[in-house]
Amino acid sequence: MLFHRNNKSGPVRSAGRILLAGFLAGVLAGSTVAQTSRSVHDVTAMSLEDLMNTQVFSVSKRTQKVADAAAAIFVITQDDIRRSGATSIPEALRLVPGLEVARIDQNKWAIGSRGFNGRFDNKLLVLIDGRSVYTPLFSGVYWNVQDVMLEDVDRIEVIRGPGATLWGANAVDGVINVITKKAKATQSAVVTAGAGTEERAAGGVRYGGKLGDNTYYRAYTKYFDWGPSAYPSGMTAHDGWDALRGGFRADWTPAGANSLTLQGDIYRSRFDETLTVASLSAPYSNTFPNDGKYSGGNILGRWNHTSERSSMSLQMYYDNTTISDHSLFGDHQNILDLDFQHGFHVGDSQQFVWGLGYRSIRDKNDSSFTVSLQPNQVTLNQFSTFLQDEISLVDNRLQITLGSKFERNEFTGFEIEPNARLLWNLTPNQSIWTAVSRAVRTPALTEEGLRLNSAVIPPGAPSNPTPFPAVIAVFGCGPGSALPCTHQFNSEDLLAYELGYRVQATSNLSLDIATFYNNYSNLRTAEPGAPFVEGSPAPTDVVIPFVAGNKMSGGTYGVELFADWKVVPKWRLAGSYSYLQMNIHKNANSLDPTPDNPNGSSPRHQWYLRSSIDLPKHFDQDTTLRFVDHLPGLNVPSYYSLDGHLGWRPVTRLELSIGGQNLLNNWHFEFMPDFVNTSPTVVKRSVFGSITVKF
Amino acid sequence: MLRRLGILIVALSVSLSWAPDAFAQARDSSDSSEYLIKAGFIFNFAKFVEWPTSAFAQPDSPIVIGILGMDPFGTIIDQIVQDKKIGARGFVVKRLKWGNDIKELRDCKILFVSSSEKAHIDEVVQIVKGQPILTVGETPGFAERGGIIRFTVEDNRVRFEINVEAAHQAELTISSRLLTLARIVQQPSTEARKPG
Repeated sequence: MLFHRNNKSGPVRSAGRILLAGFLAGVLAGSTVAQTSRSVHDVTAMSLEDLMNTQVFSVSKRTQKVADAAAAIFVITQDDIRRSGATSIPEALRLVPGLEVARIDQNKWAIGSRGFNGRFDNKLLVLIDGRSVYTPLFSGVYWNVQDVMLEDVDRIEVIRGPGATLWGANAVDGVINVITKKAKATQSAVVTAGAGTEERAAGGVRYGGKLGDNTYYRAYTKYFDWGPSAYPSGMTAHDGWDALRGGFRADWTPAGANSLTLQGDIYRSRFDETLTVASLSAPYSNTFPNDGKYSGGNILGRWNHTSERSSMSLQMYYDNTTISDHSLFGDHQNILDLDFQHGFHVGDSQQFVWGLGYRSIRDKNDSSFTVSLQPNQVTLNQFSTFLQDEISLVDNRLQITLGSKFERNEFTGFEIEPNARLLWNLTPNQSIWTAVSRAVRTPALTEEGLRLNSAVIPPGAPSNPTPFPAVIAVFGCGPGSALPCTHQFNSEDLLAYELGYRVQATSNLSLDIATFYNNYSNLRTAEPGAPFVEGSPAPTDVVIPFVAGNKMSGGTYGVELFADWKVVPKWRLAGSYSYLQMNIHKNANSLDPTPDNPNGSSPRHQWYLRSSIDLPKHFDQDTTLRFVDHLPGLNVPSYYSLDGHLGWRPVTRLELSIGGQNLLNNWHFEFMPDFVNTSPTVVKRSVFGSITVKF
Repeated sequence: MLRRLGILIVALSVSLSWAPDAFAQARDSSDSSEYLIKAGFIFNFAKFVEWPTSAFAQPDSPIVIGILGMDPFGTIIDQIVQDKKIGARGFVVKRLKWGNDIKELRDCKILFVSSSEKAHIDEVVQIVKGQPILTVGETPGFAERGGIIRFTVEDNRVRFEINVEAAHQAELTISSRLLTLARIVQQPSTEARKPG
C-alpha cells in the first residue's frame, strides 16, 4: 500500500582489467540516466505464460502505479531481494536510494531516512502486512526481530518523506511496508538451507496448501544463527545471535466481493553483546559480555470488501513483545490495534478515503541500576481518524490529493497531520509531483518516564569536587516521571516540502528524482537540571540530571536520484545517488551541552551502482558497488562495499545461490551505538551460500 | 585473495555480458510496468486469434489496432508491433476518439477500449456487433456486457477474461492456448434480462 529487487583465473585476469574499464564506462553512461525494467524486446519474446507470471506494480491504499504516486516511493521486488543475496529485511533495505542502513554490531542496526539515524531512530514507521512494528517504548524498531520468510515477500514499499496523513504519528521521515504474498501465490513446499562465514547456518521450510475451493493457506518456520563479528583489532567480539520463528497465513475468498485474511507469527531470538554500564562503586564503569532474549507473537485478521465503486477493510491485530536484556532492562508489551478504512468514488473524478483507528498499548517493565522506567506498568489508548480526497482533473493528467489525520494520544493530546499533494502527468512518460505535509513524532514511553544512568564520575575527579560519586543521568519528562519536571516532553514537529520528477525516457531507461526541504521544530534535547543528592540505593551519590526538552530545530534538505537502464534485454544497470544536508541547531534557550549530533550521524553522500545480468544456462549474476560517506558526529569513516551474488536455477524446482558482501575490504565500520553503550563491531567480508528446493 | 576475487566477479560479469550467447533465452519474472505487459498480451492475442479471411481486403492487409479513448500505452505498443508480422500481415496502431472517430471503429481488427470510455461500452459493443473485431477492455463488467477480452490485475499479475459467446458472434476463432489461460465469462443472455 502506498498511499504502496568467479571462478576463472589465468588469461581472464588481464582481460578482466580491460573489461573493468568497459564496465566503468557503462556505469558512467548509466549514471546520467527508475522503475520499469523490462524492455519492449523482452515482451514480444515472452510466452503467454511468462507474461502471466510477470509481476506488475500496483501501489496505494487503492491500486496505483508507482509512476502515479505523488511521493518519493521505491519498491523492492521479490526478485530484487533474491538477486541481492540479502538474508534479512535490513540488508534488503540497502537497495533503497538514500535510505541509511548501518549495522552497529551483528544484531543491531541503525536505519533511517533523510537524517537523524541511530539505533533508536524514531522518525521511520515500519509495517509488516499492515501491522506496525514501531515500538512505543522508545519510538523505534527492534530490527533484530523483524523478519519474515523472505521467499514469501511480495514486495517492500518504501516511502521517503512523511506519510503521516495515512499512517499517522511517527511516519515523519519515511514509511516502510513489508508486504507478503497472498497464500494463493505460495502454493508449494519450499525448503531452504544455507551456510556462510558470518551467518553460520540458516534454514527454512514453508508449506502452502488449499482448503476447499476458496481457502488457501501457508505455514512456515525458519531459523538462523550468526557467529560473532570482530573488533578492528581483529579480536573476536561477543555479538553472535540466533532466531527461530514460525507463522501462517490463510486467505479465504468466498464468492463475491469479500475476502478474509488471518495470519500470525511467533518468534524467539537470543543475542550477545558487550555492554558498558556505570556503577556507584570503583571502578565506576564495567564492561562485560551480556546476553538477552527477545520473544513475541502476533495475530492479525483482515476483512476486505471491494465493489466497483468502493472498498472497505477492517483490520485487527494483537502483538506481544517481550524483551529481557540481562543486566539492563526488561519489557513486556501488548498492543491491540483496530483499523477501519472506507474508500469510494465520488463522481468520475474523485476518490475519497476515510478511516478510523484505535490502539491500546499495555507496557510492563523491569528496571536495573542503569535503566529504569516510571511507571513500571501503564496502559495507553490512542484514537485516530483520517480523511483524504483525491481529485483528478484535466483528463486524469492532474491529480490533487488533500487529506489529514487527526489523532489523540495520552501524552500530547490532539495532533493534526495534514498534507496536500499534486501530481501532474506532463506526458504519458513523465510526471512532476509536489507535496507539503506536516508530521509529528509523538513521545515514547522512555521520553516521559525514563531514567538512564549513563556515566558516573568518581569522587575527587577534576570535574567532581564532591566526596560522592556523581551520576550523569538522563531523564524523561512527563506525568509520573522519576524526576519532577515543570514542562512535559512534547511531540517533535515537521513541516516538509517535496518536489519530484519521473521520466520513462525510453522503454528501457527511466529516472526518478526526489528533492525535499524539511523544517523541524521541538526536536529533543537533554537540558541540564539542578544536581541533587540521593541517599538510596546506597552509597550516597550526587545526581547531575539531564532532562528531555524540545529545544532544537532547523532544516534539512537533500536530493535522491535513481536511474534504471536496461542496457540490453539481459543486462540491467541501476544507480542511485543521494545528498543530504542537515542544519539542525539548538535553540538559544537550550542549555544542552552535547554537540549537534544529528547533523553528523547521517551520511551526506551515498551512491550505489548495481549490475544485474541474466546469464545463459539459467544463471543470474548481480554486482553492487556502494559508497557511504563518513559520519563526522560519530567518527565513522566513509566506506565502499562491493557485494556480489550468483544464482543458478537449473530447473524451476531448484535454486543454488552464493553471495558475498563487503568483498573489497577485510572489514569496515558502519555506525556507533547511542544511549545504550554496547561495543560496536565491524562488518566483515562475508560469504553465504544456500540451496532452495520447491515441491 | 578475496579482493582479487571481488574484481574478478565484476570482470566476469562484464565479460560474460558481452558473450554473444549470453542473451539467448528469456526467463524469469521481474518488475514491469502494467501496460508494457498488457501490450505484450495484445501482441499475443493477434497470434492466437484467427480472423475470418473475409475480414481482410488483401492477404497482406495489416492488423489495425485501435485505441479508443485515453491511451495508457504511450509509445510502448507502437514499439512492440513495429516491424512485426503475423504471416504476411503487419500492424498499424490508430488512436481514436469517441465522437469523432466512430466510423473508424469498424476498420480495426483489435479494438482496445480504454477505461476512460467506460460510459460508452454498451454503444461500442453495439457498433462493432457482428464485425470481426476483437474488443479488449479493462473496465469491470466489460466482458459480461459483450466485450470479448477483459484484462484484470490479480496479485500484481495481469490476467484476462474471455467472453467466448461474444467471440463466436464476431466470427473469431480463439486458440485453446488462450482459452486455457483465461477465465471464461458468460454473457447474461438477452432472454434472461427481459422481465418474464
